Amino acid sequence: MSEYDVIVVGAGFGGPVAAKKCAEAGLRTVMLERGERVGQKVISGLTIPFYGFIFGPAFIRDGNPPIERPADGIINYIVKDIETGDIEIDDTLKIPKPLSPVLAFGYNAYCQPFCEWEADRAVESGVELRTSTVAVDVLREDGAVAGVVTDGGERLGAKVVIDAEGCQGLLAIKAGVRKKYPPDVISLADCYDYEMSKADVDRIFGHTLRFCWGWDEQKVAPPLGYGNGLMVWPYRQSLHFIQDQCLKTGSGKVPSLKDFDDYHRNITSGLPWWSEEVAPHIRLRTRIWDGFEIFVGLDDELRGMPNHADGMILIGDAAGLESTELCDGVPAAWFSAEIAADVAIDAIRAGDTTASFLKRYDERIKAHPIIQWSISTTNRHDLRYAQENHDIDMLRKLVHDGWGLGGFASITTPLLRMIFDSISEDPSILSSWIRMFPRYYYNWAHERYGDAPGGRERPRGVQTLGHRAFAAFMRSMDRFLQRFSSPVAKAAAFMTPATSAANPVMRFLLPRVEPFYLAALKLLEPVTDPLSRKLVSFVTRADPAIFDSPPGRGE
Amino acid sequence: MGSQADRFPGIEWVEGAGDFIKIDTELCDACARCLKVCLADCFEISEKKARVRSLAGCLECASCWFVCERGAIDFNWPPGGKGYKSLWG
Repeated sequence: MSEYDVIVVGAGFGGPVAAKKCAEAGLRTVMLERGERVGQKVISGLTIPFYGFIFGPAFIRDGNPPIERPADGIINYIVKDIETGDIEIDDTLKIPKPLSPVLAFGYNAYCQPFCEWEADRAVESGVELRTSTVAVDVLREDGAVAGVVTDGGERLGAKVVIDAEGCQGLLAIKAGVRKKYPPDVISLADCYDYEMSKADVDRIFGHTLRFCWGWDEQKVAPPLGYGNGLMVWPYRQSLHFIQDQCLKTGSGKVPSLKDFDDYHRNITSGLPWWSEEVAPHIRLRTRIWDGFEIFVGLDDELRGMPNHADGMILIGDAAGLESTELCDGVPAAWFSAEIAADVAIDAIRAGDTTASFLKRYDERIKAHPIIQWSISTTNRHDLRYAQENHDIDMLRKLVHDGWGLGGFASITTPLLRMIFDSISEDPSILSSWIRMFPRYYYNWAHERYGDAPGGRERPRGVQTLGHRAFAAFMRSMDRFLQRFSSPVAKAAAFMTPATSAANPVMRFLLPRVEPFYLAALKLLEPVTDPLSRKLVSFVTRADPAIFDSPPGRGE
Repeated sequence: MGSQADRFPGIEWVEGAGDFIKIDTELCDACARCLKVCLADCFEISEKKARVRSLAGCLECASCWFVCERGAIDFNWPPGGKGYKSLWG
């Protein structure tokens, strides 16, 4: 008899989500983490896009995870000549004011506290957490995976092993489920973390990310579009700087990553806004790096590798689900973790954990609009061709389509599909979405994370007119969604097929509407800027209870 | 904590990681790819073979293992709780 129902290998972003769900279903669940403490071996996170939160695990969406700063947009610098300062800017991706920064397109986060917060929630749900434990091999019973062997020689039996090990995937290779990825699809992220006062981050960056793109000979970016020269994430009182490069370029060459030092030096000394505005106010806290799989989704053979076997399911990066564009695997890790847990629970209840039952996991992954979008986009991959040919028009377009407003020509359909799917499943999720953004902003502004809403110390909020209006609006909305749950769900389901037209419509509309939209944003700034400040003031001074998830949801 | 903490600020090492990266010198053809991708200078070429010089600064990224297409590098995780740790990833 198995000691456990489920063993989850890895307590990064995805592992705790799967483990928590299994434990909540009454399954005996253990989570193994190779680090001494959860999150100490994870380098990722950065901006976790909003869709990860709103479509992801309820305990995160309706909870209070530790975030470093809401992100409201990206400024892209296209560096044509760093010597002469010939730099173009694409800053079209931004949440419009007055919604920004309370409404964010993502949340910047350090991995360690975030993963630990998730793991704590899993432990509260009954998960047994074993840190300092490596799963070095799988146990087999009649050919099927039946548990793991730890580095201490312990043999832990389980009905299902959920592998959340990350891109290296050593356990899945040992289990014979997948093979080692080729270096062409692996990128090494070289990450610098700088301390900076909150006032300086607020003043210089606000809530906006800054990315740089350039030609090879500028030595501001790793060559041939296999990486970015500079991506800067503003955190609460620090900056996260990342450059990354694939371990093998198209010509078959393995690049010298020692050149990272040159790229870093060139761009930080050559970019006036960095050397003049940022450099005097920062202090290097750490430099750290890790490999991550970036283009697995674009290779048919690699994408087709199994993500499950008899008694085993792979999630997140271990299943090749890292985004090919945004270098962000967190949403897909969360989505796949929930699906894996659902399927594992069903399999264990049905007494059938064979691959033929667990293939439901693969079917749901293939039917997930956001996962499939995120492992299919090619703008980042194709940058190499623009750089190779010094094709500025192509570079502009790829940057715009990947990290500018043009991205809506590819994400709108999967996004709307997920919105309607979620509402048709449970209309009350609408009010959770509306509450999440101000709650996250409030938590960020007051540094209130970690505990369940009921356990947090609450200042007495200011009962302004806005406060009362918001509370009344949410009460009405909750009542409406409760009373008209069925027709709302039916309406959402009815709308779903129409979402397939959204991307083509955006492809047609965006180039025509974008100049007017951006001009209007600029023109309206004298009105929207003060309104944005008023919204921030309302959210940060309110009694946070009005932003908590409605009863019956979340923690 | 190893002396590498001075070289890499903000990172700590827990001793006892052992030889978690090994090179099969029979398979190694001294292509030096592992040297090119290792930011911690863990490798050296000696007698026409790559050798592990020191794993003291290794951040367990596995880049050496990924680029070794001859399969000469055996990469495993260090024992639980050993090796590097960071709060700022």
